[in-house]
Parts: sequence; C-alpha cells; structure tokens
Amino acid sequence: MDATQSSDVHPRRQHHSVLPDVSSEAVQVPPGTRTPAISQIEALLESIVDAIYTGDELVIPYRSVRSPNNGANSQSQHEENRPLDVVRFPGRTIQEAKKFEALFRIIEMSHEVLLSGNLITKRNIYYQNPDLFRSQGAVDDMVDNIAFTLGVGREDLGIVAAAKGLISGPIDLILRDGSIHSCDVTGDTGTLLPSISSIQKINFRATRWVLVIEKEATFRTLAASQYSTTSKAGHGILITAKGFPDLTTRRFLSVISTLRPQLDLFVLVDFDPHGVAIMRTYRYGSRRLEHEENATVPRLRWLGIASDDIFNETTHRHETSGIDNSQASQDTASQETASQASMANSFDSSQSKRPTKRAKISRAQARGPSESILPLTQHDRRKAVDVMKEVSGVGALNNDGAQQMRELQRMLMLNIKAEIQAVDNYGDSSEWLDAKLSKLIDLGH
Amino acid sequence: MSGWLLSKPPFSKQYLTAHTVDEAHPAEIFSLAPTPTTLLSASGSSALRVHSITDATFPLQQTIPDAHKLGCHHVCTARGGAGTVAASVGFGGEIKVWACGGKPGAEDVKEWQLQWELPPSKTGGGDVWAVALSADEGYLACTTSDGRIHVWDINGREKIQTYETGARGGGSFAMAVDLSRDGRLTASGHESGGVYVFNNDAGRMVYSLSGLAKPVRTVAFSPGCKRLAAAGNAGVIAIYDMEHGEHVGNLTTPSSRPAWITSLDWNDTGEYLLSGSLDGKVKVWDVARGVCVATHSETDTALWSVRWLPKTERALGPGMGKSEMFCAAGASRSLAFYREATGS
Repeated sequence: MDATQSSDVHPRRQHHSVLPDVSSEAVQVPPGTRTPAISQIEALLESIVDAIYTGDELVIPYRSVRSPNNGANSQSQHEENRPLDVVRFPGRTIQEAKKFEALFRIIEMSHEVLLSGNLITKRNIYYQNPDLFRSQGAVDDMVDNIAFTLGVGREDLGIVAAAKGLISGPIDLILRDGSIHSCDVTGDTGTLLPSISSIQKINFRATRWVLVIEKEATFRTLAASQYSTTSKAGHGILITAKGFPDLTTRRFLSVISTLRPQLDLFVLVDFDPHGVAIMRTYRYGSRRLEHEENATVPRLRWLGIASDDIFNETTHRHETSGIDNSQASQDTASQETASQASMANSFDSSQSKRPTKRAKISRAQARGPSESILPLTQHDRRKAVDVMKEVSGVGALNNDGAQQMRELQRMLMLNIKAEIQAVDNYGDSSEWLDAKLSKLIDLGH
Repeated sequence: MSGWLLSKPPFSKQYLTAHTVDEAHPAEIFSLAPTPTTLLSASGSSALRVHSITDATFPLQQTIPDAHKLGCHHVCTARGGAGTVAASVGFGGEIKVWACGGKPGAEDVKEWQLQWELPPSKTGGGDVWAVALSADEGYLACTTSDGRIHVWDINGREKIQTYETGARGGGSFAMAVDLSRDGRLTASGHESGGVYVFNNDAGRMVYSLSGLAKPVRTVAFSPGCKRLAAAGNAGVIAIYDMEHGEHVGNLTTPSSRPAWITSLDWNDTGEYLLSGSLDGKVKVWDVARGVCVATHSETDTALWSVRWLPKTERALGPGMGKSEMFCAAGASRSLAFYREATGS
C-alpha cells in the first residue's frame, strides 16, 4: 500500500522542477500569539533615563534562568520565591559596571529591531562589540536572562539564534518577505531552517511524516539519497538541528505539529544518554528555556535507536551469516564434542586475538555490535543517571517514561552506546527506516 | 516446549520447569539473591521483592517498596551464608544493607528491614556497581566505575580496604565482584576484560588473569575456593585455578559469535556451573568434563541473572522433592524456577 502510494506520487513531484502554485494549497502560519516586548523594553529604558535625570543609581532588573543542573527544585520551580536581582550602574564592582553596559547595549539593540520590525541574531549582537561582550556564550546567556526577567520569549525581543537547523523534503516555506523556499533541493545539504516568525505559509504537499535526526551526517546521507520522496512510508520531511536542538528548530516542529495534526512526527537519536536527553528536549522542552512558549512537541515519537534494534540486528546477522554453526545449537551431542575440543585450544586463540587497545576491533570480524557499539564513559554513565532522575522526577511513570527508564537502565547494564551504524546496512539506513516508519505509521492510523 | 530440554545421555542432566512467577516485577529483573528459604529479586522498578522458595507456588512473601528510586541493578546475599543479610545497589548510586529478623509481635514471621544506607556521596568515590557479601555476612565488597573495589565492615560500618586496579581512580570499570567462601580472596571482573584476584589477609592483588579480552560481566568462586569462573562478552566461561592463578580451561559451545554471558553461579557441590546470557539461554555446565549438560531457552529475551537455590537435606515443600533447583530472570520480568528431574 505504501509502495503504490509513493510510486504514484513520486514521478509527479519529479516533474515539478518549476514551482507549483504553492500559495493556493499552503497552510497559513499564525503570527505569534505574543506581542513583541516593546512596551517592557521602553518602560525599562524610560526608568533608566529617569534615573539619569534624578541622579539615582541606574538599575536593570536581571534574573538568571535556572541552571540546567540544579534539578532539585523542579517541583518548586516558580520564580515568585526567587529574589529579584538587579544589575546597577555604576555598581559596586568594575564587573558590574561592564555587565550593565553589556545589558544596556543588548536592550538598546532589541529596541531598535523591534521598532524597525526586523530581527537580529545573537551572533550579530556579539560582533557589534566583541570586546564588551567577550564571548558568544555570554551574549546567549544575557539574552535568555533578559527574556526570562521580562517574562517574554527570546523572539519577542526581536532576537534570534543564527539559523542552524536543516530541512529537506517536498514542502515549500513561504516567507513573510514573499520569498519561497522549496526544501526538495537535490544534494545532501538541505535548506537552512528559517525562524518560524519569518514564515507566513507552509505548503505541505503530500508529506505524511517528519523525521527529526540528531546527527547531521545521517541527515545528509538520507537527504542525498532522496529518502524523503523514496521512502516506503510515503513522502516525508527530514530535519536536523545538528546535535543539540536549538529553539528555532523546536519552534518550527511545535508549530507544524499544531498546524498539521495528521503528520506523524518521529525523532531518531543515538542509543546513548545524550540521545535520550535530546529526544526529551524536543518532546518536553529544556529546563533552561522553560520560559519560552511553543517549543515542545509532545507527540513526537521516539523512533530509535533502542536496545532491541541493536540486539535484534545482531541476532539476525548472526543467523544469516553463521551457516557453519546453525546446526550446532540444535544438536547437543556435537556441541559437547566440539566444546571439549575448544577447551584445549580456545585459550591460545583468545590470547592471539587480544587487542592492545579495546577500541581497536578487528575489521575482519563480521559487522555487528562489536564494531558499531562502544562502551559508555564515566561521563556517559553519570549523564544516564541524571536523565533517569529527570524522568522519574515528574512523578508516576507513564508508558513513555517507563520506556525511557528501561532504555537508560539497559544502557547502564550493558554499558554500551551505539550510533545509527549499529542498525544500518553498510551506511544505508533506509531499509531499517522503511520498516520502522511503515510499522509505526500504520499502527497510528 | 515449556520445560523439556535438549538432553542426551551420557553427558546430560534433565531439568524441568518447576514453576514460573509471571510479572514478578513491573520492570526487567536485573538481579537475584537466594537465602535458604527465600529468593530476593531486584528490577528496574523501585521495589525489591521476596518470594518464598519453600512452597511449590513460590508465593510473594514481602515487597520492600521504594528501596531504590531509579531501580536496582544488584542485590546479593552471602553465598552459602545464613541468609540474614542482603545488600542492594540502586541506579542512583546508593547502597542499602538489609537485615532479616523477626517481626515485632510476630517473631516467627521474618521480614527484611533496612539496616544501613550508604548514599552516593558516602560510597568512597567512583560510582558503585556490583556488590558481594562474605559468607559470614560481615563484609561487603563493592566495585566502582573507575575500577576500584571497596570492602566495608558491615558491623563496624566503616571501609576497611580499597583495592585499586589502575592508576589511582583510572582503572577499567569493575562490572563484577565476588568473595570466596573462606573469606580469603576477592575477585573482580572488568570492562577491559581483566580479572583480578586480591588476598584479603595481605590486602593486595595476587593474580592478574588474562584470557577473556572482552568485558567481564560476572565472576564466581567455587564453593571450595579452588576455582574462579569468569565470563562476559566473549561468550565463553574461563576457569582459573586459585592455587597458582592459572587459566585451566574454557567452557564454550561452538558458535561464531556466542551471546554475552551476564550471570554465573556454582552449585553447592562445585560440580556444576549455571550460566545465563543475553540470548535468553540458561545452561548447566559439568565443570570437570568441561561440557554443557543442559540448555533451556524458554525465552529469547535477555537473561540478567541466574542462581541455584541452596540445596537442602529435606524437601523444600510438599511435592517438591529435594532435587537441586535454580532460577532465571531478566527482560521477561518473570521468575522461572527449574528443578532437576529425579527418579532416573
């Protein structure tokens, strides 16, 4: 059923080298429900100007977003019980004065772009005065903290992150400036994902699914092979945020998830604690940017890689490749004879095979888990426990929570992590994806 | 298919499925620990469970709720011990020591109670993993992810020994540990494939044993303390002599890539070894002859733990005979009990 569907849609799309009349069937992207923070910004600037006149100390209210690590207060998260911190000028220290100047510059730039109706990237802010800001990370933190303090989102300040996410697939993004981005370009590069506030309409054409991919390399491989139009699961969209999910990508997913409820949304991450954390950030948001709205995608489903994928694959390969021993497990007598023989020689053979370094595993060996999986590092193991604490911190486990706990526990028990190579077929993961997507899409409808 | 196994004379023994406790835990069962009358089990959920092994239906005797919030990966009792002390380690890194005593007001009903808790900050550095209790139930050995083995005096509640297996804190993850029944030796199995044996009286390493090269997931001293068995991702069981620290043989079945072995246990006489692996197979090995004498594969999901139940002089319960029994558990979340077929 899937195959016929894709074959009758596919050729038609191929002929559309000229853009179709996209605007007619496109879905309107609602403008943000929140108003720009212009009034808050102006009130803040006014209070500073007033202070200059009266000769009072200049003050910018400033609170830090909870750091991602202090998970203890996830229950009593509300800011009401946090003291309202301020940054003063001239302040008590040189550092405070400098910080005031930096914050003032950001607020001023925000004011400018809000008045002009443009957007400015955090990267652009930094390069306006690298000496003052000293690092990109400092700008990023200050922007998020200002937004948090004012109770608005980052984009309400007219500030966005530089585009990082990539999208590939048969859909068209019609921007508010009138330009049209068709995302089914050939090649492996994909299209840079624009900020959702700059998108006016989206033409989803015949897409049925969205696959969010953790790794850029995997995205490129799939984009190059035109997986979004050749998949047995029908047409779809590939998206990557190149590692850790950024707000722009999460917002985009959140918006299309609402705009297009019939789309099936999946995320493909590595089998490691970071993969689980990334999947959770897409679904439930990040603690650091909890004040940002429309940045979660609860119906995003975890496609893999899961422990079963790795071990089923092993068993499968083992069965198909191990012709020489397929009888042995059925036949206890021959098993015993052979095991006696191996008592004598296995010590020597295991000695000679012993690698000097564990990571170097013989290429001659059949492909399997030993090659594509790695042991967890101590850092990985601690990260796994941190993620487990977050999963269990929300109270009684639902099915999703139980599944996440199980995968993290298995990771720790097995002490392994695995990338997509653990399930692909010599670099081609389309067969595995076809099977997975088709199964889940059918179950879902 | 339920309980009959592949077995052919003369090198075989028959074991039958005695009973299966389905859904014994709501999550995967990671560890089993028998006492003379009960079987403790730990799983990915927060509760520990205690099943009676003196009744043919293996009824649930006690649930210890909220023992380990993130789940529990290891629970142990003393091999050959009285069965009054148990220790468990949670995924959160905490160690708990439990004691079994009479319930106040009803002294004949034995219940497990928390005796001592070591939070992650007090476990002596490094994230704790495997645990073992000495036969006299006085000492607890636990391994860390940076390759150390800490030994605690349970009564004195203090750490009495730390064995290092690498440059300080830089050793390979110690995935398995055991204490010999005579209390003399400690053995550890590591991610690097290393197996180390320490003399507890001298407080130092006596053997560094090679032969496996792949992660070692389980180590076990024979009841007579003459042999050490070790196994893991290599899929073979290496047997070492403890008099001279020599590798004296491997137990293996021919297979190009045997499944990872997760658990080993010697029976009380030291004649047989029980092994469990990720492909769901539980095997009984005749150690002297070096052969597998029984294989059970009722499940194709991972087994995390296999344990012999202590041998008793009398029948455990009505209709149970006094044949040797073992239990296997893992991803299926059930406890599968087997007993040796008698009357042959």
